[in-house]
Amino acid sequence: MTVMRDTVVKALAKIQVQSNEKGLIPEYEVLVNLLPVSLLNAFSERIMAAAPPERKAEVEAGLVRAAYECGYHTGCGIITSDIFSEVVMPMVTEDEKDILRGAFAAFTAWGWAKSGIVQLKEAEKMIVRAFDYYEADSGGQGLRGFMLRGLCQAFFDLAYAEPYPDGMDTYVCHQTKGIEVGDAYGEFVVVKK
Amino acid sequence: MALKLEFTMDNTTNRHSLNGHGVVMHSHHYLALITKLVEDLGDIGGPQILCDVVEESMREIFDDYFRENSLTSAQDRCRAGEEYFSTFGLGKMHITGDERGGEVRLSSSHVDEGWTRKWGAHGKPINHLTCGFISAIFSAAFNKPPKSYATTETASMVTGEPESTFVVTAL
Repeated sequence: MTVMRDTVVKALAKIQVQSNEKGLIPEYEVLVNLLPVSLLNAFSERIMAAAPPERKAEVEAGLVRAAYECGYHTGCGIITSDIFSEVVMPMVTEDEKDILRGAFAAFTAWGWAKSGIVQLKEAEKMIVRAFDYYEADSGGQGLRGFMLRGLCQAFFDLAYAEPYPDGMDTYVCHQTKGIEVGDAYGEFVVVKK
Repeated sequence: MALKLEFTMDNTTNRHSLNGHGVVMHSHHYLALITKLVEDLGDIGGPQILCDVVEESMREIFDDYFRENSLTSAQDRCRAGEEYFSTFGLGKMHITGDERGGEVRLSSSHVDEGWTRKWGAHGKPINHLTCGFISAIFSAAFNKPPKSYATTETASMVTGEPESTFVVTAL
């Protein structure tokens, strides 16, 4: 058996995070927050618009980096969590491949992106397609999947780089297509740095 | 007063909403790095951009919630704002004041604790996100247009204080 995506999505989508008496959400070895997507998109666009042309790459890199570190640390917490062990691990027969499949099912279930792996060359290359993602609504010009770029890179690092926490920045992700620029889906290609 | 929370999920896209507004989970690593990014972009107004965006986005959410739940008193509206802050996992907020302004304390703070976990203490306050959140609560609670209040962080847990404090002034 390999990971049955629909089963995982259904099981994980039911999970709701809840704050404790301090108004904090400690889950997956991190503090989780829940923020309006309108806020996140507006922030990305406003900060990109404010940057002069020679600094736009720096701002873009900063947005991707925030998602990457979030994905790397939180991702490790997710794939070692009780719920992942309970829902995904019993279906894992192909090690890293199946863990990645489970991780992208979690992406979908938790509303980051309705996405999945379409090509995987172990430890070398991964192509992910996303048919819905909130950054596609940001209204900016050009490719806007900053968060997804960071998350795809993070999960490939977790799967194939040195074990956590020593595998950071082994791979890099480029966005090659985007719903926000008129394509039918967003496409994200992860390769060795 | 307990905040009414209606979590929903679109079965086609799997996007999640709270009380009709799309929401998504991230971690303290994300907000710490976004805060650091705006600090590094201080010369182009980074902190103020974050503050403004939060005020505008939260104002829309508060206006919808107050209208749909017939919340008319400023006191009830402030309590709802505090509860939204906790529901989002941003910490524990305590508001005092009136339409001329007031003081807001945080007895716990996602942004400050997240920054401290990642990089340790910092020499100055960095909670620009919460400044915008508070300005949105005050303007919505007192039926004022956006940007009617200035919020300044005067004490901060990230600098080692036991609580964070914000002063709110009507403009």
